[in-house]
Amino acid sequence: MDDLLQHFIVEAHELIQQATDDLLALERDPQASAPMDSAFRAVHTLKGSVGLFDFAPMGIALHAAEDLLGDLRERRDGIDAPVIDSLLACIGQTERWVAIIEQTGQLPPDAAEEGYRLARALRSQLDADPAQNADAVLQADLGWIEELVAQSRNPANLGAQDAPLVAIRYTPRADCFFSGDDPIALLRSVPDLMAVRLSNRDPWPPAGEIDPFSCNLKIEALSGAELDVVKAIFRFVPDQVTIHKIAPTAEGQASVAASNSGAPGVGIGAGARTLRVDAKRIDRLADLVGEMVIAKNALAHLAGQFRDGADRKHIAQGLLASQAAIERLVAELHGAVMDVRMLPMRDIFRRFPRAVRETASHLGKGINFSIEGEEVEADKAIVEGLFEPLLHLLRNAVGHGAEPEHLRLESGKPAKARIVLRARRDRDRVTVEVEDDGRGIDPAAIRQTACERGIVPADGLDRMSDAEAMDLIFAPGFSTASEVSDLSGRGVGMDAVRSAVERLGGQVSVRSEQGRGTTIRLSLPLTIVMTKVMAVRLGRELYGIPLDGILETAFVPASRVLPVRDAEAFVLRDRTLPLVRLADLLEIPPPPEPPQGLKVVVMAVGDDPVGIAVDGFAERMDVSMRPMSGILTGMPGVVGTTLLGDGSVLMILDIPELIG
Amino acid sequence: MSVRLDGNIVFLEGACRVEDAEPLLGLLQAGRERAVNLTDAEHLHAAVLQVLMALRPTIQGTAGDVFLRDWIAPALIGATSVEPGPQGG
Repeated sequence: MDDLLQHFIVEAHELIQQATDDLLALERDPQASAPMDSAFRAVHTLKGSVGLFDFAPMGIALHAAEDLLGDLRERRDGIDAPVIDSLLACIGQTERWVAIIEQTGQLPPDAAEEGYRLARALRSQLDADPAQNADAVLQADLGWIEELVAQSRNPANLGAQDAPLVAIRYTPRADCFFSGDDPIALLRSVPDLMAVRLSNRDPWPPAGEIDPFSCNLKIEALSGAELDVVKAIFRFVPDQVTIHKIAPTAEGQASVAASNSGAPGVGIGAGARTLRVDAKRIDRLADLVGEMVIAKNALAHLAGQFRDGADRKHIAQGLLASQAAIERLVAELHGAVMDVRMLPMRDIFRRFPRAVRETASHLGKGINFSIEGEEVEADKAIVEGLFEPLLHLLRNAVGHGAEPEHLRLESGKPAKARIVLRARRDRDRVTVEVEDDGRGIDPAAIRQTACERGIVPADGLDRMSDAEAMDLIFAPGFSTASEVSDLSGRGVGMDAVRSAVERLGGQVSVRSEQGRGTTIRLSLPLTIVMTKVMAVRLGRELYGIPLDGILETAFVPASRVLPVRDAEAFVLRDRTLPLVRLADLLEIPPPPEPPQGLKVVVMAVGDDPVGIAVDGFAERMDVSMRPMSGILTGMPGVVGTTLLGDGSVLMILDIPELIG
Repeated sequence: MSVRLDGNIVFLEGACRVEDAEPLLGLLQAGRERAVNLTDAEHLHAAVLQVLMALRPTIQGTAGDVFLRDWIAPALIGATSVEPGPQGG
């Protein structure tokens, strides 16, 4: 991806966020002039940047948004929920497009339809000459479809065609022949063709300069087939084709309708993001590197003295001093680098007001949403890893926590439910809470559900305190499909929230008072301490071994294993190493048939290398290791555990301790 | 053999593939007055088609293949507006 596009993506994310913040502020206070000016500037700048690239549909939509904002700014009136909705829809789509561009470098094929649809919706909010501008663009750009329709309106051919048609514009990439494409073969496979127009994308070069292998075709066609059938044919060239569904109207004019968006859902925050760092932090890093250079020079000086035969004692003192200085600098450098990775919660928190607003308006609920402590910082991985769980918790608070307005008024609460998202620093941890003043959780209902769904046996439930019972909402299987909606999550329940938070090295707890509200609290470390481990297989089980103890891995033929009294050894590069089988260490019965060759992890145990035989090597990974807690604390030979991506637990072994 | 020169006429026969584009281009560049006969063509790869579109030789014969006859040949005969031919059974 070229630099310009990368700059555009970074800038677009910021402008989108700015515009969103401003629009939400305008919704709260329609007369405020600062957010109005700021939103206009953001959209104007964004539109200008889009113009540098070939992202016309995005430009058309943003242009309409800019015109609408300009008009609203002039009139200082007319800012209501539908207007804000249409502007947010445009900004939201722009955000999705930018995410797709970030991944693929271009807009999705259905962007044109979506861009016009957004532009139309925005222009319809404009009072004067509502559709003039938008229509001009529409006519110009979708004119080809009408021409095609006009061509195909051949009575002999089409008769009274009143089924919807599909219009295809396929501009193969110049190098498409090299990837084996034959655009004409694709066209041939479109069923029920009604019209075809073949033309050249760029003017043909003089006859002597024609490159037969550079595709210069533009193919336009109409088909009476189903939209999905046509889409399926062009599924491998989505970037080169636009497909529109057109419904012939009574007057014989075609109207272009937006087809179902086939764009892949792109998760927010997917892909690598650029990290913006406070210049002060970079300056500090630069200072530290400068000091490091001085410390290195001091070491060079010492080396010179040593070569010249200076006094040993003097050299030793110098070395010690130099080592202490370097040690301090390395520690500070490490701290400074970790600092660079610290992000304020703001980076994710500012995306929530829109999500809460969307959920609330979808459910017809009034929500008074506020954010506290967005300046609290934590490691980039922690902050970014919190987005999904917090989004789920907030949607839950809107969907399940907040009561309908009439119930709230009956119980003497304000009509709008209050939801607070709060972050604060607690010594070396960060606490993030989602608090609502809704209906609260009924422990009796939790007990009943847990019993019905067989989460806990009935007698176990009786012994539980209310607080313990409430904790069951995080148990796997507690949330059921009936609660899964597009609002409360994509099939994830509170157990997914818990496992996401635990993967970050955190804990989740719930506090709730029936009728008064619920608070979900996440407690997280400020930084994730990643341990590199190598997973090894034994039978069907995986175990982790910390990578820093591993010297190498080797395959040893069974014939090279030598019995040494009641132990075993093997020869590796002319050196005899003791061999220990991991199955023996863990007291697991060995497989019935000894394998022909052994897979051996060579580790440093004490000062000597030792071979540990395993059944297989699995991948290396960076994991956040959690020390053993509870009754497992004293378990020998295990340094900790980590959760794998599939939710299973990986035990990380302390091999030296196991060997004893 | 998909590209064959006979006298002053280039015959395209069978399924013309991407590798036929270059010989075709060579034949047409060498003799700009040469015509192209599509009677026995079963398919034209896009690379072959665009050589014909760029050089616009005289097209002879009506392709036996319905798709070529109805949708592709008209673009080569110079009609800018494409009137689909009668629908063959």
